[in-house]
Amino acid sequence: MSHDVIILGAGPAGANAALAAAETGLKVALFDQQPEAGGQVWRAPLPGLALPASPEKAGGDALRARLAASSVDLRLGRTVWSVGAHFRLDALGPDGNETVEAPRLIAATGAHERVVPFPGWTLPGVIGLAAATVLLKSHGALPGQRVVVAGCGPLLAAVATGIVKMGGTVVAIVDLAGPGDWLRLLPALATQPRLLARGAGWALKLGGKRVPVHFRHGVRAALGADAVARVRLAPVDAQGAFTAGPEITLEADALTVGHGLVPGNELPRLFRTEQTFDRRRGGFVPVLDAFGRTSLDGLYACGDGAGLRGVLVAEAAGQLAGLACAHDAGALTAAAFAERTKAPAAAAAQARPFSDAMAGMMALRPAQVAAIPPETVVCRCEDVTRAEIEAAYDDGARDLNQMKQFTRCGMGPCQGRFCGDVAGEILAAKVGSREKVGTYTARPPLRPVPLADLMGSFDYGDIPIPRPAPL
Amino acid sequence: MSTTYDLAVIGGGVHGSTCALFAARGGMKVALIERGPLCREASGVNAGTLTMQMTRVALIPYALRAHAMWANASEWLGHDVGVVVCDGLSLAFTEQEEELLSFRAGKRREAGAPIELISGADALRVEPGISDKVRLAGYCKVDGYANAYLTGLAFRRALLGAGVDLMENTPASGIDREESGFAVKTATGVVRAKRVVLAGGVWIEPMLGWLGIDLPIKTLINQLVVTERVRPVMRTVVGIANGLLSLKQYPHGTVVIGGGWQGIGDRERGGVELMPDRIVGNVRLACHAIPELKDARVARAWAGLEAETADALPAAGPIPGIPDAYVCGSVHSGYTSGPYIARLLADRILGHEPALPLFPIDRLLNSGDAERGPQ
Amino acid sequence: MAQETDGRPVVTISVDGAPLEARAGEMLTTALARSGLLRLRQSPRNGAPRGAFCHMGVCQECALHVDGAVRQACLTPVRAGMAVERRGVL
Repeated sequence: MSHDVIILGAGPAGANAALAAAETGLKVALFDQQPEAGGQVWRAPLPGLALPASPEKAGGDALRARLAASSVDLRLGRTVWSVGAHFRLDALGPDGNETVEAPRLIAATGAHERVVPFPGWTLPGVIGLAAATVLLKSHGALPGQRVVVAGCGPLLAAVATGIVKMGGTVVAIVDLAGPGDWLRLLPALATQPRLLARGAGWALKLGGKRVPVHFRHGVRAALGADAVARVRLAPVDAQGAFTAGPEITLEADALTVGHGLVPGNELPRLFRTEQTFDRRRGGFVPVLDAFGRTSLDGLYACGDGAGLRGVLVAEAAGQLAGLACAHDAGALTAAAFAERTKAPAAAAAQARPFSDAMAGMMALRPAQVAAIPPETVVCRCEDVTRAEIEAAYDDGARDLNQMKQFTRCGMGPCQGRFCGDVAGEILAAKVGSREKVGTYTARPPLRPVPLADLMGSFDYGDIPIPRPAPL
Repeated sequence: MSTTYDLAVIGGGVHGSTCALFAARGGMKVALIERGPLCREASGVNAGTLTMQMTRVALIPYALRAHAMWANASEWLGHDVGVVVCDGLSLAFTEQEEELLSFRAGKRREAGAPIELISGADALRVEPGISDKVRLAGYCKVDGYANAYLTGLAFRRALLGAGVDLMENTPASGIDREESGFAVKTATGVVRAKRVVLAGGVWIEPMLGWLGIDLPIKTLINQLVVTERVRPVMRTVVGIANGLLSLKQYPHGTVVIGGGWQGIGDRERGGVELMPDRIVGNVRLACHAIPELKDARVARAWAGLEAETADALPAAGPIPGIPDAYVCGSVHSGYTSGPYIARLLADRILGHEPALPLFPIDRLLNSGDAERGPQ
Repeated sequence: MAQETDGRPVVTISVDGAPLEARAGEMLTTALARSGLLRLRQSPRNGAPRGAFCHMGVCQECALHVDGAVRQACLTPVRAGMAVERRGVL
């Protein structure tokens, strides 16, 4: 074994898990696809970019400094392609394939965006809402010059403010929720006064720029030939279904749209640990104990990949998982474990009302899925439409994997990450429940890898070709 | 549950489904019992290769006829299962592989497979995508591939059309012998039938156990890799002399890399884990054969199960000592030959003399448990 | 579309054979978008135009060829002289 624990994902959860475990003396390997730690929330700006100060940048810089000063074996810019039992991880890095082994593995792989399809959502110029935060925070780029910001949840105001700050124009904010929905959350939001104040600051800035806000509206279609040129809006009801009422058409060269996040839970799924469907947590999530232990010995999960709870809970959950590893490895006594977990457990508990409120705003609305037109593409990789998914049901497909075989939906290079949640919802509306429909079976590699990188250089004679089959 | 079926088939892969289909078309009232959805184990996740050059010599006559069935699947199955008939090449890169290839291709040719040996230069003319390091190639015009993941869809429609009572997601847990036939115990009740066919692939061993028959079946865990869609890099089915590679590009652009490199798993858990070193080995072999493939990306890798008897020949025929009970499966490269062998069994069950002999399991039961076949 | 606030050197890359000015170290998606190159590939069955979508390495919509190898533009910083080829229908 090369390490005591391997951690996948260097965002707020994974990095804190790494620090907590390393502080107890464990030998930790921390992997991430990005060249810098921080995850999506605390993403580092590209080298050479001078971006204005922000709480995210400060938070990320502090974390990166702590990691640099720690004993954590940082493996950044790695494409992890294989994770095997007991645990062995293979990743492609600057020097080709590297293999590490450890008796414990923490999955802290974060979440990816959910966009509920609408006609035109595949046009260039239409990007995710979280995608827009990456452009603004890390790439120093605007999504476009005239941007419609649509969807639901707190990212709407954050992205719109970021665009305005960088000199772009926000044509409109389009929120599935209404002002009343936000007001109802105030008591929960007030448990995090700093974050609430920040949200209020965004609202003030946007108000000052007179950015129009269309509450209780959704995107009916993005229109354009080779790229988005217009965005058509329509009013929606509290469940997200379109209602009668005047449509609004806006001229824009970009649309950023997001309907919450989906946990990137492929590691627990790969190991077939117990999972449960939790709409508020973003979908299927691994069943965990209070410290992030999954149903498989040695496998832990924390952060948004284990169920959406946001950055505050992710930091605490990461510390708890790191400490649980240390305890289970014998590096922390039961007493020391109880003592050290007190603070992060309390922090997680304190952050819950806020994170629950936010997660609630971003949960998938079934009525919105029901409104996807039949000819709209759901699986972007394979151009599979809603009608084709439903035709697979008519042909007897009763779970996601069977539907995938009938249609190729989810067989493309994103490995079902962008269609799985919505396709599951479409099928579940016919079959009866998301639990019956299940999830796509997780398969390696965790990300597509070029064959050239995988095979490296070799001599034909050295390939360990197995014995031939009987003649 | 007062219906007594003429035939209950347990196991809804290619073997069970084909047998059920032809029995129903022959006039029998048939129930097909499958613990999951149809063709979702080996029959749905295998590499789909329909080649003679990886087929066991003894199975060549069957595989040739099965190939013809696959080639006109739209006629008897009502769906083409994405079958493409094309040339096949088995490559030799070393002197030792040349010897192996010459011997193996010769044996298969004797059995009826139209395989010729051609030079590397000629092979390049057949398949411009292959490496110029090829010294000798087995060239066969009877080759091709199906889109295995469509198998379940195709059979489902056909079986329903033929009036088969399809019992998917219905695990069977045992069989009682009764005066008038058999009572199959399932999760949703008892299914009664005058005859039974056990067609459970690697699960044939426990199924035969229900009837007191001990037939060891080995479970192979075959690793497979598929690339994302790439521009055309090949037009034939490509393998290597020792059979440890199968490679083809589908019309939509993905390339499936197989060959039977073994992963970790068993009958109970399925293919649970892939061996990264063996993925790399298989991929190296593939790129050595088709150099342009190196620019593609791996989209997905998985493992599928394959059943193997002690002599690696099929278990297909009547179950000794139990009238009206049959077994059908464990066919090496079973996806290729399965439909024909299962159809032969259906013929036998319908009272017709099969056109080619079946593979009764008596030979495996009599020899005791000393020998596990020529490994 | 990048902010003009950085002092990163201007370099030349090639896109489908034509030269394109970009800033060293900026993300390839940004350099392409600034020149109006939003379409990075076409979808496999409909041939519909597709561009960068998730910007975090997950969706694969921005996969193209960089110096012959498939790379995700949203994870690829610009280097002087890099040869970029957008992919057609695959």
